[in-house]
Amino acid sequence: MAEVRLENVTKAFGNLTVIPDLSLTVPDKSFTVLVGPSGCGKSTLLRLIAGLEKPTSGAIRIGGDDVTRAEPSKRGISMVFQSYALYPHMSVARNIDFGLRISNVPKEERERRLNEAARILALEDYLDRKPAELSGGQRQRVAIGRSIVRNPKVFLFDEPLSNLDAALRAQMRVELAELHQSIASTMIYVTHDQVEAMTLADQIVVMNKGRIEQIGTPMDLYDKPASVFVAGFIGSPKMNLMPGKAIGRPDIPTVGIRPEDVEVTEGDGWETKARVVETLGSDTIAHVRVEDVGEMTVRLPGHIRLNDGDRLKLRADPARQHHFDADGRRMEGQTA
Amino acid sequence: MSEVSTSPNAAPGLSERLRRAAQNGRLTATLILLPPALILFTLFVMLPLGESGVYAFYDWNGYGAPEDFVGFRNFEQMFGHSVFSVAAGNTVKIVIVSLLVQLPLALLLALLIYKKTPTNAAFRLIFFVPYIMAEVAAGLIWSFVFDGNYGVTASIANSLGIDRFFVLADRELAFYAVMVVIVWKYFGFHMMIYIAALQGVPDDQVEAAQIEGASRRQIVRHVQIPHIRPAIAVSVFFSIIGALQVFDVIIPLTNGGPSNQTHTIVTYLYEFGLTRLRIGFGSAVGVVLFIVAVLVAVFYQRIFMRRANP
Repeated sequence: MAEVRLENVTKAFGNLTVIPDLSLTVPDKSFTVLVGPSGCGKSTLLRLIAGLEKPTSGAIRIGGDDVTRAEPSKRGISMVFQSYALYPHMSVARNIDFGLRISNVPKEERERRLNEAARILALEDYLDRKPAELSGGQRQRVAIGRSIVRNPKVFLFDEPLSNLDAALRAQMRVELAELHQSIASTMIYVTHDQVEAMTLADQIVVMNKGRIEQIGTPMDLYDKPASVFVAGFIGSPKMNLMPGKAIGRPDIPTVGIRPEDVEVTEGDGWETKARVVETLGSDTIAHVRVEDVGEMTVRLPGHIRLNDGDRLKLRADPARQHHFDADGRRMEGQTA
Repeated sequence: MSEVSTSPNAAPGLSERLRRAAQNGRLTATLILLPPALILFTLFVMLPLGESGVYAFYDWNGYGAPEDFVGFRNFEQMFGHSVFSVAAGNTVKIVIVSLLVQLPLALLLALLIYKKTPTNAAFRLIFFVPYIMAEVAAGLIWSFVFDGNYGVTASIANSLGIDRFFVLADRELAFYAVMVVIVWKYFGFHMMIYIAALQGVPDDQVEAAQIEGASRRQIVRHVQIPHIRPAIAVSVFFSIIGALQVFDVIIPLTNGGPSNQTHTIVTYLYEFGLTRLRIGFGSAVGVVLFIVAVLVAVFYQRIFMRRANP
């Protein structure tokens, strides 16, 4: 049982309060992703859970134990850093079993865990190499291996894929998902990349300015964003946000329409002109200008071939619109 | 039939390299920028070095041209002189104390104050002050400290109710006092090298070790010291070469006394060569010191610096 609970946690650095008052439950064996823009406090929150920062107030519990003031090594966690944090002077094997060696784990047990981690992460052929002799993806696997051998109750990941190129990132996303399935531990993962959040998470926590904007499954957040902020953050391309008068509803302060919920129509619709067209093959992304509405992004089926400057008539699916009040909160009962 | 290389990586010939250098401006830059440094270095370093090598074989008082060629007699006298043995032994002692006391002390303090905080900055400044102080001033200050009549040692003797003691006049204690001053004077320099290196150790590697359960001592041993090994190699090198050259601190402190017990090779050169107008003899000492320094530098660079920078 390794549920992680944060109870009214606050964190301030001098006069700057980074996390005002935050409570969060990360269920046992879940893959929870903390997502938000740079500076939203998600990495600070992860460091608080890791014990690398102490909260100004509040309590942190892991597996029911109060670890608020416990040392990082006493919390049953392990952490994978953005920069991998591998020791350049040690071989892959020594990087992976470093924690076991300094804890005086018997050699046979150490080797058993090392070989098991190397097998899971396909690192058997690289154990004698130094980190400098590995690719970015291999280094990341070594960092994960270092976490695995400790058998932690909770894995923490701090933007682990952001130093990798796009292709490797996609591959590592799949490997991380497989790892979570195979070892069934609680994982908390920080990223600013909402694609990683959507593809990996059981539960996404969207953060903004040190507060939680919304917690839910990926599709909850996609289908029912609780605020304008979440609506704009989750989904790629971003949701189109416009005043209600653009759809003839001046009573609604803000309307959100996802690019994929707009279609080309022959009937009534917005007269638009494509400014830029991105042809992706499976989809065509058109950035258009609509009179009285402004800029919009639409995702059309790939078979619709457009050129920059083409004129289109577009219609938004009324059942798929999202309505937000003057405070930017979702107006219930009116939307998809 | 001669072979013609068609490899694009084949090294270009001298004329080709010169032509390229002329085209890209390197030749012009070299012709303009090199001569001033080369001339100054030749005039003030290479020529005096060469001349010392020549004078070492003459009995010469520095006036007129050296005429009395004595072969290796200066070297024989030097190696047969008991004070030279004391001076060479003292120089070795300074090297040992520098390596075993000064550098560990510098590393320990660096580990305590390398993090960027206002308090640490104040301590860094305090610890660095001895290094930026003129050697002669440092020597004079410490000669007051060790003064058995009015100095700190006198106060200590008075407060303990024991007889006053004169450290710098004691054959047994004087060189220990000198070594204390040398450690005090130069540890700040090495501390700064270590601080700069420690600040370059990525925080996340230290944090990763903390999460793995490493103690502070284990983090220092397994993470920080391996990281700063190149800086330690440089610091050890400076320390050895510096120890071979110790001079300015000793003159105001003891002037080599009592009974010539606190000489180093350089103060020996000064005392028995220059002040007694035995320039040939002094040159011979200088030649020996130069050879030792070059050997240390070459071997150290080849063995330890390469190991530290694999």
